[in-house]
Amino acid sequence: MTLAHYLFLSSALFVIGLFGALTRRNVIGILMSIELMFNAANINFVAFNRYLVPHAHGVLGQAFTIFNITIAAAEIVVGLALVLSIYRKISTVYAEDYNLLRG
Amino acid sequence: MQEIAFYLLATVTLGAALCVVTLRNVLHSSLSLGLCLAGVAGIFATLGADFVFVSQILVYVGGIAVLVLFVVLLAARQSENFLRQTNQQWIAGVFLAGAALWGMARYIALYRTQTAPASAQPTTRAIAKLLLTDLAVPFELVSLVLLAALAGAILYSHHDKEETEAPGTERPGEHYSEVKP
Repeated sequence: MTLAHYLFLSSALFVIGLFGALTRRNVIGILMSIELMFNAANINFVAFNRYLVPHAHGVLGQAFTIFNITIAAAEIVVGLALVLSIYRKISTVYAEDYNLLRG
Repeated sequence: MQEIAFYLLATVTLGAALCVVTLRNVLHSSLSLGLCLAGVAGIFATLGADFVFVSQILVYVGGIAVLVLFVVLLAARQSENFLRQTNQQWIAGVFLAGAALWGMARYIALYRTQTAPASAQPTTRAIAKLLLTDLAVPFELVSLVLLAALAGAILYSHHDKEETEAPGTERPGEHYSEVKP
């Protein structure tokens, strides 16, 4: 296995998440696609740390992945709370209906 | 052996990710999201990152996937399964995603011959040392971020009883629910 295998897997995952975030109408679907992109970044961190850094020089990439997972969890929690709150107000989860501020 | 594990996990991960973005039923999407996150955890295991593997299972598969599932169950309707779930620009989205993948693949080709230096070793002790020495300040800051996220989630999802909507309020999502199977 070379590093390119892992990098190609993570970029494919990122691109799938990008496509979902651009094209889904459902806000929950957009949040799920953003989670896919976070995971692609995490695979990149761990793969670069495994392949380019000798073990004696530390595992900074993996420690950073822990932070990344934490931030992603905080993001999805606040995002889903916002979606639920908006759904209670206007009874829709579709992004194009969120137009209360349109003039 | 390693190749078989990698290709199996990659197939599961990418297939589940495609299901997440393409399936019409959001409930099926969120279930595929759980499968995809579990596949990414397996990828971490093949990279020898044992602690990240366990964190991924605990936080993502056990926490975030279940949370998304709950919100889907709370904020979905039966009639949505018969609606188009992508917007009008999905062809442009395909082209943009393809261009991004092509551009990244050109640079990934630089690492075609990069192999792993040695067999992987346990990393939990090293991560713990990092978190309590060099990364102590970010470690404390991230707990503040988690506290803020907790407070924000409670604030936004708190249901106010007096704030029930007045009769005759316009509901923009209403015209979608008229579609009958």
